[in-house]
Amino acid sequence: MEPTVLVVDDSPTVRKIVQMTLQREHIRVITAGDGLSALTSVADEMPALILLDIQLPRMDGYHICQVIRKNLQFRQIPIIMLSGKDGLFDKMRGRLAGSTEYLTKPFDSGELVRTVKKHLVNWQERVPVRQESMGMRPRLRYRT
Amino acid sequence: MEQQDRIMDGDLQTLGLQSILKMLALSEKTGKLFVSSGPETLSVSLRKGQIVGLHEEGVAQADLLAMLCLVGKLDPPRAQMIRELAQGNMQIALAMLVERGWMSADEMQHRLEFAVTQSISHALRWVNGRFAFHRQLIPLDSKMRPLDVDSVLLEALRQADEWEEIVAGGVTQLTRTTVARWLPEVSKDVGSLGLSQDCIEVLCLSNGELPLQAVSLVLMTPEARVARNMARLLELKLIEVVDTALETELQGDLSNIIIKGQHILAQRRNSPTPEQHLLGLITTLSECINGLLIHHGRYARHLRGRGHVPQDDIVRYLDRRFAQKLHMLTKQHYPILDTATFAYGQLDCNDILTLNKVVKGEQLEEFYWEAVQGLAAFLRMIFAELLQDEVGTSHTGRQLGVAWKIFLSEIDHEIQQYQIYRARRNVQQARGRESMMPSSPMSIVQNWHGVPENNGDYLSPGTGRRSI
Repeated sequence: MEPTVLVVDDSPTVRKIVQMTLQREHIRVITAGDGLSALTSVADEMPALILLDIQLPRMDGYHICQVIRKNLQFRQIPIIMLSGKDGLFDKMRGRLAGSTEYLTKPFDSGELVRTVKKHLVNWQERVPVRQESMGMRPRLRYRT
Repeated sequence: MEQQDRIMDGDLQTLGLQSILKMLALSEKTGKLFVSSGPETLSVSLRKGQIVGLHEEGVAQADLLAMLCLVGKLDPPRAQMIRELAQGNMQIALAMLVERGWMSADEMQHRLEFAVTQSISHALRWVNGRFAFHRQLIPLDSKMRPLDVDSVLLEALRQADEWEEIVAGGVTQLTRTTVARWLPEVSKDVGSLGLSQDCIEVLCLSNGELPLQAVSLVLMTPEARVARNMARLLELKLIEVVDTALETELQGDLSNIIIKGQHILAQRRNSPTPEQHLLGLITTLSECINGLLIHHGRYARHLRGRGHVPQDDIVRYLDRRFAQKLHMLTKQHYPILDTATFAYGQLDCNDILTLNKVVKGEQLEEFYWEAVQGLAAFLRMIFAELLQDEVGTSHTGRQLGVAWKIFLSEIDHEIQQYQIYRARRNVQQARGRESMMPSSPMSIVQNWHGVPENNGDYLSPGTGRRSI
């Protein structure tokens, strides 16, 4: 079984490149172009890892990160922030929001693969068990 | 539990796969035989000494459904439906095809038997490795009619011998995981090449995506025979073997260029003035062009396999390939590109970027606009040539082509924003002339920032009032 990675970025180019790069490593990739779709995808697909841009339409990356971290079922999912901002303040803000790692754009595809693989070790132990069969579809609550 | 169930294990050097299978067949054993060599593992399910299933691990499994689509035996929507239901299990997928009447039961049995024979034939050639036999581990609902070990072994051994013959004949670069693809210059009229039907079929499936093993599976032609046909096609220079490592590296490098280009584009978005917007586009386009030129100097087919290539040779090659094209573009459509120089295998756009030192006002914007169009055309030209040369019409080529088109659409979006602004400005200038009202271009269309969304909010005060 392949791990699933959710890529959240408003640029279709970044989404496609990341998808192409990770698929080559036998990693299944799903994508979202804005904050709200990202949360829907997390609940529906339960990814093993999330690559999250900061500047997103409808809800920014920090906010998404906080929502996920507050949810008991998804809080274990590693979140790699993917952003053009490389200042210390932004990295700190990402950490405070609960990101696992921070990759600065323009990222190197090799570095991306290495970082993703590093956080996918033992991914099967972390991915929440699907609960649709028990009528308990996971939900993410957030305030906009 | 596992230890209790394992009733036999050992080294392949001590006891070969052929002997193990014969022994299990004679004693009518039921269980699962695991044979492994390096990263590969083969598990053969036996019921009363007959083969009822086989599974391979450590090698990428061929997508049989996709291949049946390629040879026109199945249509893609049906394949997709079955794929979702079968979840990668070939036996289940074939059984579903039979259930729905899209494949005959005989064909399913034939295909399963064929796959088993190919895998065993491959494993018979393993010299080093281990084996273990476990009792009562067989799946309950095998879709395959039980196969007689002797007949499978006979055919598998014959095919293994055929492989050995090919290797003895000097064809050592082909394995069951080899992926081949058409060379870019191959004409589409394969009928005129005087090839046998077998060779044509292999040629048609050499799309840079399917490994030799998959081609064999879809054509139901033994792997050894497919290898022989591939060797013939290689001799005729109709196909090439895909260098996976090189291709991964090449894809990574191009991805980095696209990501860098997208990053520059995103940074330059929301420029305060149209001139700066155009300058941002010129910077993005020229950096992408130079990135692609550096990349091509490293991965061009012409320069491959020559070890370390001196920089002068690379520069000469890039000049020969692209300088003339830039010249033609300049002469025929975009004279402003005359100020850009193609030197040392790179495009120097510094003169365009510093045009504001010699030209001002509307004329400067016109020059910038022409440069954007010219550079965009040159960028498209370079990428198309580069991709065709480096990866041809392969899977990687198509993937990169799609990513590139998406990136270009982001650039086009930015170009379009300027075009909208420009069109509105021209309309308003014409209206201004009609009403004999003197005004400057930037005062006619204010709030350049509002243009990108194109949602009707961004209009000059006059137009806004009219639309209300």
